[in-house]
Amino acid sequence: MAYTISSTEIQKTTRALQPARPTPWAWLMLPGSIFLAVLFVVPLGWLLLLSFGAPDWTIAHFVRIAQNPAYIGVLRTTLQISCVVTALTFVLSYPIAYALTTGGTKLRTFLLIAVVLPFFTSVLARTFAWVVLLGRNGVINEILLQLGWVSQPVALLYNRIGVIAGMTHVVMPLMILPMLTVMSSIDQRLLRAARANGASPLAAFLTVFLPLSLPGLIAGILLVFINCLGFYITPALLGGVSDVTITMEISAQVVGQLNWNFGAALSTVLLVAVMAVLWLGSRFFPIEQLLGFSDDKIGLDKTARRQMGTQWLMRIGSAANALDRWLPSMGGRGIPIFASFLAVLLLLPVVIVAYLSFSASSYFVFPVPGYSLQNYERYFSDPLWLRATVTSIRIALMATTMATMLGAMLAFGLSRGRIRGRGAMIALVLSPIIMPTVVVAVATYFVLVQVGLQGTEFGLALGHAVHAIPYVVVIVVANLRDLNPTYERAARSLGAGPLATFRTIIAPLVMPALIVAAFLAFLISFDDVVYVLFLGIGRIATLPMRMWEGITQDINPTIAAVATLQMVFATIVIFVNTLLGRRKAQS
Amino acid sequence: MLMRAMPSSTDVKTGGIALHSLQKRYGAAMAVDDVSLSVSPGEFISLLGPSGSGKTTTLMMIAGFEMPDSGRVLLDDKDITRLPPHRRELGVIFQNYALFPHMTVAENVAYPLRMRRVPKAQLEARVNRVLDQVHLGAFAARRPHQLSGGQQQRVAIARALVFDPPVLLLDEPLGALDKKLRQHLRNEIKTLHRDVGKTMIYVTHDQEEALAMSDRVAVMHEGRIRQVSAPQDIYRRPADLFVASFVGEVNLIPAKLRSGVAHGPADETLAAPAWSDGDMDATLCVRPEHLHLGTGEAAAPGIQGHVTGMTFVGDATIVEFRSNSGLQLTSKVLNISAGAMLGVGDNCTASWATNDATILTE
Repeated sequence: MAYTISSTEIQKTTRALQPARPTPWAWLMLPGSIFLAVLFVVPLGWLLLLSFGAPDWTIAHFVRIAQNPAYIGVLRTTLQISCVVTALTFVLSYPIAYALTTGGTKLRTFLLIAVVLPFFTSVLARTFAWVVLLGRNGVINEILLQLGWVSQPVALLYNRIGVIAGMTHVVMPLMILPMLTVMSSIDQRLLRAARANGASPLAAFLTVFLPLSLPGLIAGILLVFINCLGFYITPALLGGVSDVTITMEISAQVVGQLNWNFGAALSTVLLVAVMAVLWLGSRFFPIEQLLGFSDDKIGLDKTARRQMGTQWLMRIGSAANALDRWLPSMGGRGIPIFASFLAVLLLLPVVIVAYLSFSASSYFVFPVPGYSLQNYERYFSDPLWLRATVTSIRIALMATTMATMLGAMLAFGLSRGRIRGRGAMIALVLSPIIMPTVVVAVATYFVLVQVGLQGTEFGLALGHAVHAIPYVVVIVVANLRDLNPTYERAARSLGAGPLATFRTIIAPLVMPALIVAAFLAFLISFDDVVYVLFLGIGRIATLPMRMWEGITQDINPTIAAVATLQMVFATIVIFVNTLLGRRKAQS
Repeated sequence: MLMRAMPSSTDVKTGGIALHSLQKRYGAAMAVDDVSLSVSPGEFISLLGPSGSGKTTTLMMIAGFEMPDSGRVLLDDKDITRLPPHRRELGVIFQNYALFPHMTVAENVAYPLRMRRVPKAQLEARVNRVLDQVHLGAFAARRPHQLSGGQQQRVAIARALVFDPPVLLLDEPLGALDKKLRQHLRNEIKTLHRDVGKTMIYVTHDQEEALAMSDRVAVMHEGRIRQVSAPQDIYRRPADLFVASFVGEVNLIPAKLRSGVAHGPADETLAAPAWSDGDMDATLCVRPEHLHLGTGEAAAPGIQGHVTGMTFVGDATIVEFRSNSGLQLTSKVLNISAGAMLGVGDNCTASWATNDATILTE
């Protein structure tokens, strides 16, 4: 006994020498990892087994995909759309991210609102905005006709144009935010140094800023491309018969034809494609760094070590410099103006929906013939809409509780605990964000059926919690990095026990992050359509589900009111977030 | 670390800078207020001042990164006020050096030549030569973050010198370094100046640095130049109270100048240089090392008081003195001999030589 005590004493002293206290913290990861194992890893494994026809093993389903031109066509469509959207998003996002980094305070505030507000508005609401914009009697056709540029409405909706416009709009924030993270870590003095050494503004951009922003570009392109491959809502609502993507085919097979094995095979193909892109991307950029898990600054060292083939940029920059004397001076206003224009485009769909929601007409007419609150009255007086809202809130509260508790514990464990396989643990926790939602939802459905939880609100909340946990973890981890362990040591030295330290030091300092994380988890559950489509099996009518049905059936103006209310809610979340952030900055 | 002579491409002295009443306003605040300064070719001049004094803004206007609201910047009598920075041909050494992290040392140094489209063979020769001159030939393939602070400074110098600009602008290059390294690099820059003979304009808030390196020092405060003189004159003949108290330690003694005689707070006669403006109230500035504390009848006429504290600082002892009229003064006594000195509480007289006092009226 005496020996045991002394050996733990020794362990304690050696541990005290390490920067953070190890093992006890690691136990906090247990509940969260069990949850994710049962509701994420097991379902995906199950999916894989099903795709190989378990228990009667076969590769027939994959052979069928490879041999049937219809499915090859679906894969090609998915790839085409993803490539075009990614390229377009990149071109439109870079100027915004650049102006966000280099612009003045007012410009930055405006651009940030233009990026963040759509980001927090539900995908469904934004896609609905495009239905309203692009339809035969939509806003754009209305304007074109009134200007006399066209004699009859142009087909913009239910074809490739609609899909690409809508998807680009939806994914732009995903491109801008990682770019911004990397760009804002670039020392602006380097640009001055380039100018002092004889580089024109254009040459300084090409030889210094662009190469240093490359990691952000790669991360953004990766994120957007992966997202496009697994996108469901927008192509399903805006596309036509020739724009069937792989996710729509999965849905058709699993929900429509109850062809589970073939649906699983298609899901596996999508999953493998996403993994391949991720693997390729991770060779250029450490993805977990972007999500805030790295201990050092966003990979300047990494890029510095890597010859990223920027020699040709140097050559172009040097050539641009020679031209400088003949190029007209743009006075440096071009980029802010262009970025602001793009930001207005980013905001416009959201704003137009809000505008149309106050229309006095029962149809979508642009401009509105008069203002009224009838759409809101219809929403608040319709028991179906209200019941759907209450259902959504109930499910979101369940999901938020689970995700926040488990996510917070995971975050503490990951940032304070020292265990082997921490990298694998981080990958596990983050993958629900990166894996296509449709695939995860289908897989979860297969497992929930086994225990009879399909079509129940609790089952749906479990799915939502899996999807929300990564966001909670990322937010709390980012906050814990600021929480200096010295505070806790100081509290301990002043006589506080472990519990008192938690109550008086850790809890108050982490609370703002937890509140933000909980709001975000709530929003994720509240806005979700994909999980409801698969796990709700037509029995659960959440608010987004009602909207989805409304959009696919009769494009009812009440939806505009609901979408606007959703946006207002998102704005409140952003507002609370900024408020808490500001309070933290002040203290 | 010595730097051998770098051949200057021109024999005719170029690199004169003239500032004509520069003004720069940020909102309501005057960052630079009517700054005029003439720097001759080959001169080493420091802009010295506390943070917010406008020294960096002034330098950035010379470099072209800030546009003055009014006034002109001339380089060798050519107006460059509106010229963009990349066409000014001025070398700038930035705070923290601003070395490009994604380029090697050689690529960093080659950068200005690439921008000027110097042919490849000539470019390589010039880069190698300048790297050898700063003793970094062996480090050409390294990245900046693999170098020590001193080596980084030499890369920055090499990069600024490789295109042979007539003027070097240095923006607190030693600001972030520790004291030992700072002194060492200070000497390097001074040696460099002697060897290459380029005009250097050096911004710093460190008075010791400014005094040690410069031909002339321009002391700035609240956007204005308060005094431009050789270091000795800045220290010994400060032009106003700000310069007197910003540069070095100083005793400020209120004095009444009446019919050719200076009188202290208790009406005692004080040593002061001659003045010509008639009777007035003024302040006498006396550096601590010029203030003598004596006892007994032999003491020179001065201010009566007693010792209130003594602090041993190694090479010297700082003696705190309080006059009978309540004035606090400081004397610095070099510890040349270990002999008995004054003790706390001892009565004594504070005095100084006539020429060691400066009369300031403000």
